[in-house]
Amino acid sequence: MSFLNAEEPSACDLVTDFGINILWHPSLGMELGDNLQKLLKSCASGQTALDILVFEGSVVNAPGGTGEWNRFAGRAMKDWVRDLCKVATFVVAVGDCATWGGIPATAPNPSESQGLQFLKRKAGGFLGTQYRSKAGLPVINVPGCPAHPDWITQIVVAVATGRGGEIALDDFQRPKTFFTSFTQTGCTRNMHFAYKVSATEFGQRKGCLFYDLGCRGPMTHSPCNRILWNRQSSKTRAGMPCLGCTEPEFPFQDLAPGTVFKTQTVMGIPKDMPTGVEKSGYIKLTSAAKAASPRWAEEDLFVV
Amino acid sequence: MDDSAAREEVRSLLASGLVTEVFPRADSQDDALAITARLRGADGLRQKLVIAGFTLETIVYAGIEQPCSTCMYFLVHRRYCELSELKLPVEPEWSCRLWRM
Repeated sequence: MSFLNAEEPSACDLVTDFGINILWHPSLGMELGDNLQKLLKSCASGQTALDILVFEGSVVNAPGGTGEWNRFAGRAMKDWVRDLCKVATFVVAVGDCATWGGIPATAPNPSESQGLQFLKRKAGGFLGTQYRSKAGLPVINVPGCPAHPDWITQIVVAVATGRGGEIALDDFQRPKTFFTSFTQTGCTRNMHFAYKVSATEFGQRKGCLFYDLGCRGPMTHSPCNRILWNRQSSKTRAGMPCLGCTEPEFPFQDLAPGTVFKTQTVMGIPKDMPTGVEKSGYIKLTSAAKAASPRWAEEDLFVV
Repeated sequence: MDDSAAREEVRSLLASGLVTEVFPRADSQDDALAITARLRGADGLRQKLVIAGFTLETIVYAGIEQPCSTCMYFLVHRRYCELSELKLPVEPEWSCRLWRM
């Protein structure tokens, strides 16, 4: 669904400007019932070329490894996934469920869900660590809950235009171009982060959301404040803490009561530090930054 | 009441020997949630100070100084605690058990 909201390029651009033939999509696909089965079988047999398989959703293995809890087009979805991954030139996993297993794979994981090549942080997943698509690449992971639509379309275009082999991936097979910087990169609240001024309630325009409201922007890899949502804004710009949804551990603390929208602390110090920051350094920096904070940092200086 | 007068009232209460719950400190998130839940039911300033464990001097706990001045809820220029359940004028060297940075 997020994909349909893409702007640069849009879903229509994929067809009109880049000549991509979208064989099937839950909302755009024309084939239903028997015709869809025929199409999928045609792809699986190699009769219809499958250049890019874009998969969304976790791979459900329950009950007992059969995958029957998630049937699609007449058989277990996982069986389609296995067959189509064998013939696809490139495989792209979109969203947390397809990449790491997502919320369905949260313990105790009753649906025995997996991502395509990961289960949370552990490599392997449904296809195993050795899996390579026909192009010789592992699954390209585009995580997020949801994934930003432009991340999806830009990766699809890169692959479709013959630049798939140039996509550098990080340790979690995410495109580095999107997932090297942090959600905090480009956040409009960075000056409040620097001066350790906290937002204490939703809707406050001043203050950083990291210190009290559980924002994971300083330790989450995503370009949410570089490639804006709807080309307009982002969670943190709108006063909503980052939930860290592009990281394998999402949802953090398994959504236990009291852990959502609340910075977890141990003896008053954040349990999860900004990436690369040590506890002793954090304490020193906080003391100095608060002492140096200017008056304007405590005031609502945003205007509409 | 303006901040100065309210701050003076807090100082006066604490200086006159009001016994507050300085320990145990809010080590975990669960501890903090339990204390803030009690604060939401507090009846008046005196009870707030008791539950939050306010002191006029900085408490050092587990090797870490915990003054209001380094707490995330402290507004430096206004000298004010912005924690929703407290919202009190304070002094930088004061301390409470909900301290966090």
